[in-house]
Amino acid sequence: MTNTRAQRRPVVLLRPVPGTSPIHELWAGTKLLAVFLISVLLTLFPTWTAIGAVAALVILTAWLARIPRGAVPTIPIWLVALVIGGSLTVFFSGGPPFWHIGGLTIGFHGVLAVARTTAVAAVLLGTGAMVSWTTNVSEIAPAVAVLGRPLKVLGIPVDERAATLALALRSFPMLSDEFRMLIAARRLRPPQVRDGRRGFRWITEVVDLLTAAITAALRRASEMGDAITARGGTGQIAAHPARPGLRDAIALSLVIAVGTAVVLFEVL
Amino acid sequence: MSALTAAMVIVGITLPIFGAVQLLGAVPMGLLGYRYRVRVLLAAAVAGGVIAFLLAGLGGFIAMCQCVYIGGLTGVVRRRGHGMPLLTVLGVICSAIIAAMAVGALTLLHRMRTLLFDALRASLEGLFKMIGNIPHLEAVGVNATNAIDFAMRNWMWFIGGIVFTFVLLNTMFGWWVLSRVIRRLAVIPDVHQLDPPAVAGAVGPVPARLHDVRFRYPRSESDALAPLSMNIEVGEHVAITGPNGSGKSTLMRILAGREPTSGQIERPGSVGLGAIGGTAIVMQHPESQVLGTKVADDVVWGLPADHEVDIDGLLREVGLEGMGEHSTSSLSGGELQRLAVASALAREPALLVADEITSMVDPQGRQDLLGVISRLTAQHRMSLVHITHFQSEAAAADRGVALRAVNGKTARTAIQTVPVPTTTAALPHAESPVVLEFDSVGHEYASGTPWAKTALRDVSLTVHEGDGVLIHGGNGSGKSTFAWIAAGLTKPTTGQCLLDGKPVSDQVGAVAISFQAARLQLLRSRVDYEIASAAGFSRRDTDRVVRALASVGLDADLAKRPIDQLSGGQMRRVVLAGLLARSPRALILDEPLAGLDAESQAGLLRLLIDLRERGRLTVVVISHDFDGMQDLCPRTVHLQSGVLLPESVGSGSRS
Repeated sequence: MTNTRAQRRPVVLLRPVPGTSPIHELWAGTKLLAVFLISVLLTLFPTWTAIGAVAALVILTAWLARIPRGAVPTIPIWLVALVIGGSLTVFFSGGPPFWHIGGLTIGFHGVLAVARTTAVAAVLLGTGAMVSWTTNVSEIAPAVAVLGRPLKVLGIPVDERAATLALALRSFPMLSDEFRMLIAARRLRPPQVRDGRRGFRWITEVVDLLTAAITAALRRASEMGDAITARGGTGQIAAHPARPGLRDAIALSLVIAVGTAVVLFEVL
Repeated sequence: MSALTAAMVIVGITLPIFGAVQLLGAVPMGLLGYRYRVRVLLAAAVAGGVIAFLLAGLGGFIAMCQCVYIGGLTGVVRRRGHGMPLLTVLGVICSAIIAAMAVGALTLLHRMRTLLFDALRASLEGLFKMIGNIPHLEAVGVNATNAIDFAMRNWMWFIGGIVFTFVLLNTMFGWWVLSRVIRRLAVIPDVHQLDPPAVAGAVGPVPARLHDVRFRYPRSESDALAPLSMNIEVGEHVAITGPNGSGKSTLMRILAGREPTSGQIERPGSVGLGAIGGTAIVMQHPESQVLGTKVADDVVWGLPADHEVDIDGLLREVGLEGMGEHSTSSLSGGELQRLAVASALAREPALLVADEITSMVDPQGRQDLLGVISRLTAQHRMSLVHITHFQSEAAAADRGVALRAVNGKTARTAIQTVPVPTTTAALPHAESPVVLEFDSVGHEYASGTPWAKTALRDVSLTVHEGDGVLIHGGNGSGKSTFAWIAAGLTKPTTGQCLLDGKPVSDQVGAVAISFQAARLQLLRSRVDYEIASAAGFSRRDTDRVVRALASVGLDADLAKRPIDQLSGGQMRRVVLAGLLARSPRALILDEPLAGLDAESQAGLLRLLIDLRERGRLTVVVISHDFDGMQDLCPRTVHLQSGVLLPESVGSGSRS
């Protein structure tokens, strides 16, 4: 009697895929650095070679991390429609290279440009997702503290910033739950009888929602502030801070090697 | 806060249709800039930037920077008391700088620029060529192509101009929204209880001797703590009991280092709040106590860098052995509180103050927690002050101190201003029409992904009109999912939930639900606006507002009160007033008594019982607690790991 409805797979972020793998065991800082380097590479050289190389890295990582196909969220139909509908116009723009199909000549210059932009965005999202799906949130703040250590010379309070980051990551699920509840509360309301200027109703609505969200967040913040005071301020943030090892050296070398190869190929 | 902003930014990026939402991420940042110093804003910017980078890459990071810029500028201008003119001047200057930076970046990144311009030109040209094929519009195509060519040749000015205008408009919009939000937030009381200790020096909180200690809050007309004399000796377990308003929490603050208004406290050294060998405090709210994302991280959170602790030993002592690697968000309330005790013990405190630590924990969790607490003084050389409003919890202590209510304080807690008459019960009959029907409902979150989690399995339940059903279950039993499905907010993955024979998810709003966090359900600024909005009538309809307030035993004087000046119990009643004014088919209450003191709990229960018996309202209560629920809910069903256990009927004769 049970009929399972086809359900959309939601976007899951900041939660590692259950299990462990060489990628899961990498130091979080290595992964952050790698993503940063790849972002810089693609911003400087958004070419097909670079896109291909990064895509290969993403696929290699996904294979090593044993990320199943199901982790990829369902792309909503309206987004697909929007992309296809948006790209239809590109076919009319023309420009070399030309393809001759039957009696028609279509210029693919514009199509390729749009395809490349989309590919850059997709590959970048993929790299981000690899970190998100293999890293426990608790490892991120200590890793940032270590990575930011050189900035201490400039007088930047790195440890304090890392503690803030750790708290933000801790409160993130709580706040998104509260946000979800707020939206639900809004959905439960009947159609609103509003007085006042029509054009400003939506802004009143938004201000109301924002105020409720901020009030809840402020209350949470002062309670957590009390808890911090009760512990005598900030200090350690991790019980067993991880350290980079041989594995990390190999992974980072691989990323740098691929990056350098792409740069050399593009420049020479 | 920055998590809130990041949440909004991510919403803004993933849902391009709601582009406006991303702009609103600047508002929380603006509030930070308005209320605190620039350093706080910078800290939030770093945290938010890293999270945004993790979630959405460089684009997310840039969007976050934009939120910080707009929020920072508007917030700081507002804090300094300046207005629109200065903001406009600064906004123009900053927007020009940002536009120049954007142009500069595109000049350097010439490959990216070529690609983006190619893509942009292709889309636009294609669009205009299509338009050009429409009869009578041929000229548009040609002219547009020329215009695009012109724009691309002078891209610096075009891109710079667009960025400038966009940033400036965003700044103005941010200012506008922020001003409205700040006006609303002005009445929010600051609820923080502890202040960092001012004096340093040798730490020695016990033995403490209090002589006629009295406390009155600034701008208050009466004392919060009546003159109190007591001693706290080394190694003793003292229980402090007293009704609401007797100054229990005030005493906690004094023990934490706040100076009393009069009287003296003698201690051998300073309080040393949170210091090694000083005073440690465990408070009421389980979720906000715990600061680490992993259990072991939380134990060491905030300790000096060179201080080593036996994490496993501490976790064993509080019964969380082997859970060091667990995520703190998966713990139940009781486990969280025991973890907070372990973190307090990591500081080897000489004095531990436990302030109402069991009030938001289920009965099983309460037993475990009290077990841990009662062993502490025997195993450590420390004094324990246990503040509680349950007389029974004081039994394990060496000594009890009962605080008496301070005169004039009792009026504050009295919520009941209009008596709710009690009438005899109309017994629910089996023949009453079926209201809610769960037909083998199952629900799985994130189905098809590696994170799939089954919350409910094959749940079937029928609720008749006028019924009172208690869905009882512990942490992770799926009871919240049950509530969301029953209200139609979540569509179950298998089976269906019917209201009057039709799927409830098609009639969202017909079943009223009161969430545990009442504040999140109060969306408007004032009580009357809120009730009118929740019930769907005009805010000028005062009669209906007064009637709605009376139906939940609240006085009409409350109608014009700002929401944030209400007590917890009053908030819950205002939510109920709004929900009931719509005459819902059924009312779902998620943990209706959590976070309320004993008096408000009893009052709310009386009201609900009356509504059900007299108004034949169908009530479904979701709770981890049985206490006092028997009269409201004659039927109890247990939910365990998403499965419904056979039901039992309340102890009364009603069946």
